[in-house]
Amino acid sequence: MKKVGILCSLLCGFACAQNTKTATGKVPRLSDGKPDLTGVWQPGSTVPGTWEEVNTGDGLGGNGTNPNAPAATSSSNVRVAAPYNAEAAKKVRDSFNSRGIDDPSALCLPPGVPRIESVGLFPIQIVSRPEEVVMLYEYMDTFRVIPLNSKHPDDAEPTYLGDSTGRWEGDTLVVDVTHFNDKTWLVGTGTFHTDALRVTERYTRVSSERIDLEVTMDDPAVFTKPWVYQTSLMLRRGTRLREYVCSENNLEPERYDKLIKDNINFRRN
Amino acid sequence: MRILHVSAVFFVSACAVLPLLAHHSFGAEYDSNQPLTITGVVTKIEWMNPHAQFYIDVKDEKGNVNNWKLQGYPPGVLYRTGWKRDAFKQGETVTVFGWRARDGSNWAHARRVTFKDGTKLYWGPPANTGDGGEKSVVDK
Repeated sequence: MKKVGILCSLLCGFACAQNTKTATGKVPRLSDGKPDLTGVWQPGSTVPGTWEEVNTGDGLGGNGTNPNAPAATSSSNVRVAAPYNAEAAKKVRDSFNSRGIDDPSALCLPPGVPRIESVGLFPIQIVSRPEEVVMLYEYMDTFRVIPLNSKHPDDAEPTYLGDSTGRWEGDTLVVDVTHFNDKTWLVGTGTFHTDALRVTERYTRVSSERIDLEVTMDDPAVFTKPWVYQTSLMLRRGTRLREYVCSENNLEPERYDKLIKDNINFRRN
Repeated sequence: MRILHVSAVFFVSACAVLPLLAHHSFGAEYDSNQPLTITGVVTKIEWMNPHAQFYIDVKDEKGNVNNWKLQGYPPGVLYRTGWKRDAFKQGETVTVFGWRARDGSNWAHARRVTFKDGTKLYWGPPANTGDGGEKSVVDK
């Protein structure tokens, strides 16, 4: 149990983050007085510092210079319930039991929202301007351009990352995301959705170092009520996004086919 | 209709897994019940996405040499965890801890690489990441 707790502390953040440590520091602002979200951020973390300082030990990989350093700590008291209806829950469980070999990302397809901002291994660069917010993701080399105070375009079509439009509610950036296809997972293994999905993100820069993010996923076709979780992103000064060309050497589809063809038991039961 | 909730069980799984649910399932390809530690000479390093990989020649007890393939993080993540392109070289002897592929081939997921001087670097994430963890995401 202690091991599980340590593992949670090491890796927890996304869907679990409710910080007990409140970072301080003045929130930078744009020319229009709104909070400036610009910077390179690590999702799913509550720990201030550079990428290298925070991700030591057995955490997200360890920087190797001190593998025995205390792990990055994180804490949470949030319990997230994914309210799948019975039929949908069966599908999620089937995917879990087959260890997620049906994961769309294993085909190097773009993850959707909010999965794209859930993977703590990869930084996110935000460029904040009075008229728009641009989010650049190293993971899968993807991006979102979020115009502010505008409607979804009439000709928007279903896509992996959907169509985003934002507005300020006080100091919180509220992003409405619609027009998804049904080809992505929301967060954990098998967390599928339909093209009726609507995601609402609420970004609040609570300090110079930290953005709190609340995500609401609403899909009446699979959920009995909206699925809501809170997480945070931490500023990582000195980190830059790197290239991630997933299809360069993606061996997974072939490997999975071989497992099935050779009748190798990889399932949970 | 009975409503099935992802609950505290999922919470535990989520903590351990979600941040690392990146590209593919660890559990499908590799067997966490087959940890291995091997020492060998680096023969090739491929800094490729979505998983960098390197190969080492490992001598068995009979003196036969087998070439092992070891996968892990993508190059960008490796860079941030301390792996620079000159971190290791062909011909260097390293000890690798990881988990073996389920198909029984000389293929493994590398977690920790130890160099001759004792330096350790992490080539890949811990076992059981990326496939939903150890617990079901949905209560029975």
